[in-house]
This record gives sequence, structure tokens and C-alpha cells, in this order.
Amino acid sequence: MIFQVYNRDLCVGNMKIGSISSSSILLVGDTETIQLASIFDTPPESLIIGPFVPLSRQG
Amino acid sequence: MYQKRTSIVNHLSVNVILILSTLEIGDSAHIYGVTRALAVQREREFFFGNEGDFSGYGIFNRPILLEPVTEAITYEAEAISPFIKVNNITINAISTSSVAHIGNTKSVNMEARIKHIRQLEPRER
Repeated sequence: MIFQVYNRDLCVGNMKIGSISSSSILLVGDTETIQLASIFDTPPESLIIGPFVPLSRQG
Repeated sequence: MYQKRTSIVNHLSVNVILILSTLEIGDSAHIYGVTRALAVQREREFFFGNEGDFSGYGIFNRPILLEPVTEAITYEAEAISPFIKVNNITINAISTSSVAHIGNTKSVNMEARIKHIRQLEPRER
């Protein structure tokens, strides 16, 4: 695949951003490769209803 | 060849930068960031200080599989206008190994692993 790009004017007026968090990126510029990966889970057993039990101590 | 344009930002305002985050104004080559978080939400404010152990949960060492790029790509860019212009950027917060980057870079490789845990008070039935 030949990917040819003709970059003409790129002008943005305003950017209002709440927050950039957990390994995210705001890029105003050129780059070659971007690889972002995220994994999260909230399985049923992670909802604990009952007396507070501290999580397992630091290993 | 990858042409490099110049980023022009007239006004940039950032309120908070915390937990290993970066505000980069200028060029960089490689950006690498990893987040490992135990997001615990408790119904009552209760802290033990040294709790939480990443090895206890599979999510923190499970490989994240990404499709390899097999397509042969030739990339040619023609910079007719060598500028990227943004008038005004307002950012409230940059947090947990994130980056706000004004300028060019070569490669960005970031990963986030978050385990959510909810602890609620016992409910009277």
C-alpha cells in the first residue's frame, strides 16, 4: 500500500480537555507510530458488599 | 521520508500535572508509559496504608495481544504547509503516566492496566 499525504493547512481554534489520564497522550505534532493498549476489568467478585476487609498486603 | 512540521500553540494552560505525567513542549523520539492501578472505591473513607498487591491479580501480568502489522506500507508526505496551528489549549489535568506533547515524536508505546474494586457497606434487608 502506498500512502501519500499532502499536508495543507491544519489549524485548530480551541481545545478544552477535561483530563488526560492512564497512559494517554495528547499530541500536537507528527509521529510515525503510536501504540496504545489498555486492559481493565470489573468482574462480579470485585463488588464486595460487607465489612471492609483490607486488600492483600504489599507482597 | 517523514516530514516534520512545526507546531504553533498561541495559548496553553494546564491546571494540574501529577503522578508521573509529562508536559512536553518540543520534539522527542520515543515515549513509553505504563500504568498499573488498583482502583478501589469504598463507601466509607478507610485507608490501611500498605494494602494492595499487584501479583495477586491476573490482569497485571496477562499479555495484551496486539495484531502485528503485516501490510507493506510506503508512506510519503508532502508538507505544503509546514505548520500545525492551535490557537488555545486548556487542559485541566494530566495524570497517571500520561503525556501532553506539543511537537513531533517518532514512536509512542503506552500501556494501562486497571483493576476496579468496589467495597460497599453491608445492606440491611
